[in-house]
Amino acid sequence: MRVALFVTCLVDLMRPRIGFAAIRLLEAAGCEVIVPESQTCCGQPAFNSGDRAAAAMLAKKVVAEFEAHEYVVAPSGSCADQIRNEYPGLLADDPDWHDRAVALASRVFELTDFLVNVARIDKLPSDFTGTLTYHDSCTGLRSLGIKSQPRQLLDRLPGVTVREMSGAEECCGFGGTFSVKFGEISAAIAERKCDNIRSVGADAVVGGDLGCLLNIEGKLRRMGDETPVLHIAEVLAGSR
Amino acid sequence: MNDSRELILGRIRERLGRSEANAPAAGAVIDATLAARAPGPRPPAEVAPQSLLAAFRARSEALASTVDEVATLADVPRAIAAYLAERQLAPRAVCVPDLAGLDWRGAGIEVEARAAVDRDLVGITGCFRAIAETGTLMLCSGPASPATVSLLPETHIAVATAPTIIAGMEEAWAAARAVFGQLPRSVNFISGPSRTGDIEQTIVLGAHGPYRVHIVIVRG
Amino acid sequence: MEIKSMHFKARAAAQLANAGLQANLKKVKGKFVDKRRDAIADFCAQGGDFEALREAGEDLRDRVLADLDLWLEKFEANATARGATVLWAKDGAEACRLIVDIAKQHDVKKATKSKSMLSEEAGLNQALEAAGIQPVETDLGEYILQINDNEAPSHIIAPVVHKSKEEIADLFARVHKKPRLTDIGEMTREAREVLRSHFLSADMGISGGNFLVAETGSVALVTNEGNGRMVTTVPKVHVVITGIEKVIPTLEDLSLMLRLLIRSATGQPISNYVSLLTGTKGEGDFDGPEHLYYVLVDNGRSNLLAGEFNAMLRCIRCGACMNHCPVYQAVGGHAYGWVYPGPMGSVLTPLFTGMKNALDLPHAATLCNQCGVVCPVKIPLPELLRKLREKQVEKNLRPLGERLALKAWAWVAARPALYHLGTRFAVRYLKWLAGGKQSIPVLGVAPEWTVGRDFPAPQGKTFRELYAQAKKS
Repeated sequence: MRVALFVTCLVDLMRPRIGFAAIRLLEAAGCEVIVPESQTCCGQPAFNSGDRAAAAMLAKKVVAEFEAHEYVVAPSGSCADQIRNEYPGLLADDPDWHDRAVALASRVFELTDFLVNVARIDKLPSDFTGTLTYHDSCTGLRSLGIKSQPRQLLDRLPGVTVREMSGAEECCGFGGTFSVKFGEISAAIAERKCDNIRSVGADAVVGGDLGCLLNIEGKLRRMGDETPVLHIAEVLAGSR
Repeated sequence: MNDSRELILGRIRERLGRSEANAPAAGAVIDATLAARAPGPRPPAEVAPQSLLAAFRARSEALASTVDEVATLADVPRAIAAYLAERQLAPRAVCVPDLAGLDWRGAGIEVEARAAVDRDLVGITGCFRAIAETGTLMLCSGPASPATVSLLPETHIAVATAPTIIAGMEEAWAAARAVFGQLPRSVNFISGPSRTGDIEQTIVLGAHGPYRVHIVIVRG
Repeated sequence: MEIKSMHFKARAAAQLANAGLQANLKKVKGKFVDKRRDAIADFCAQGGDFEALREAGEDLRDRVLADLDLWLEKFEANATARGATVLWAKDGAEACRLIVDIAKQHDVKKATKSKSMLSEEAGLNQALEAAGIQPVETDLGEYILQINDNEAPSHIIAPVVHKSKEEIADLFARVHKKPRLTDIGEMTREAREVLRSHFLSADMGISGGNFLVAETGSVALVTNEGNGRMVTTVPKVHVVITGIEKVIPTLEDLSLMLRLLIRSATGQPISNYVSLLTGTKGEGDFDGPEHLYYVLVDNGRSNLLAGEFNAMLRCIRCGACMNHCPVYQAVGGHAYGWVYPGPMGSVLTPLFTGMKNALDLPHAATLCNQCGVVCPVKIPLPELLRKLREKQVEKNLRPLGERLALKAWAWVAARPALYHLGTRFAVRYLKWLAGGKQSIPVLGVAPEWTVGRDFPAPQGKTFRELYAQAKKS
């Protein structure tokens, strides 16, 4: 299976190791991984800010860069959903581009979904140990149905126990540009999420979207809590 | 009828693209919808009389109503007298004219058949239908069943005969159409004592209506 | 009601800083959510299929909206045939005028009211008072707000959700001039006694309408307290004030909508009282109003019909979207600044009162879609919020700085070489800011972020750089 990795702009900027972990996992699943060099961002910040023109421009760029590949995988439910479920509508006015977006859409996957349901990964290259709690990111959960996939994978790690926090499916308050437009509200929502994380008493909190994870990490640190905040790819590919 | 009627309907028609050409077809859809009265999805309906009664009873008790069963209509006054005595409520009540004929005096209850007023503490009503799906009483207003009797008193006692227990609201509508032709002025679905959760979302029984709802089911 | 939605951010900040309010919000947050979940689980245990119900509800509301003119005419004809008078109001002001005229015509001194959000839209209480008619709110929550100087509701079905028992106890003691009670049951009883005398002495009852049934020309009212029954049974005049979108075809459709509405709103299988009212007091009837009026209000609704925001007209005002909204849970309803808070309010407020009056609201959402998945009629609320954001961009209503920043960012993101140069610089700058630490406590380029949390430090180099290096070696 040939897979093009959509790194995502946040991973590129903030946590390159998540991108490498994703590559390691895809290779462990028997995939050949390609990283298209010209990729930047899926355009979701523009889309969610109401700038359709900018979002459409970036959507075309992504479609052109990735349409030749058998599969596209992103370590983010939010970015995968943008390409999979929003591009066709965003490019609806242009029949040619719309068709190309539709043709690409069904081949775009969130990482854990791809590993479980498409690549059917057998052995995970991880000897991670500890008790983890998993935060379900909203878009992955509610638009792509990412719920059991990360848990199934974590269950396969013999040294790992997953302890569910209360309100795991509740929003962490990130919301993309919301977090910088309404910082106070965003942080107040994050505080509730962090309270739930802290009361579960896990060794680390894990999630599938870096935006949420940066929000949670920032809030935990402000609360004086040093609980590690990890991307699911880091746990599944790494060791500790 | 006022000026804004045409203004508003005109705006709606414009938005919907209503024209003389498409109005008849749309009108036919309306008429077909009204004629079909298609029910929406609903839980599987209980049908057997025994399971209807059991379901109604369980559901109404879950809504904080109390339920008693008697064999015949003639047993109702004594059962109600016992209920009032047990709750230490005075044996005095207002009842709907429909039930005026029962032997209340024989059971030691002083009953007046009329609409209720503020000072009435106990109101006794019949029940047009009882709905098993939710444990709900369906009361229809009329000269023999004033709506105030189930509303103003602190205690509402409803008498329901077993054959009036039906599965769901859909059966209730069918019965109302069959019996009344057109709907009575008020159809009230009552599901337990009145309640409020407005202060700190804490449920309190007895907001503006009755504090207690007691249902006497007549099996015969 | 006066529109204060343009001050959302400042109002939200005040609500966040209000420790009492925050404690109240925390206390109730789970209750609505848990009750709804349990009620749906119970419905499914009964063999019901709640998702099928939501789909049927969506379809039904869409069908009505597609022929709304004809359904309204059908309702009007059937209501009129039963002795009701149907009046139409293009906006809130006209609704007020019509109702004041009705009151004057029947020599009304006092009107009892059961809860109607449309009457809040219209500012009906103020209009009645100005005309010398005393409006008495009888829903316990609305009553508490009315005696507290006409405070605005903060929730569409639980209007005093923002208040604690202690605050209400103080208010009752002050207004009722009675010893202060602290037991919620006793407080409720005290209010019952005060309101009972109003119920019996009012000349007019004003109610909203949960649904208008076209088949029978009836209004359906859903209440738990019984106040809806009181105001529609005792006074000689009953006025229903409701939106033009509330019509449904048949009684069967009413059963469907009730199964959806009540579980979504309060998490009950059914409310204590569902009243279906048709026409005036009949021959030989002991009770019921002699005069029944419907005031069907547009107030911006027809503008949404058959357009991009048509789905919003499906709304049945259950409040599930706000109950499940993380933003609403954090700031409460008053921050939104008009009648309707939460996700449905953030859509309706700009559409009903004008985009410019509520610039923040469409943006005051994380687009988490917790609202969309609980909506009983499947309104795609996040999508509608995003469409409103698009409208703001189209109309040049966003701040210049934001517009330029977005354009510049997108321009750069479309040019990979430039983008990669920029990101290389950016991560190094952020790394330098962190100064060897894992977190940046104050971030000048995004100060909002670090108001309430740290900004995690980047790893130090971009993925692209590291990947290129790894490939070389």
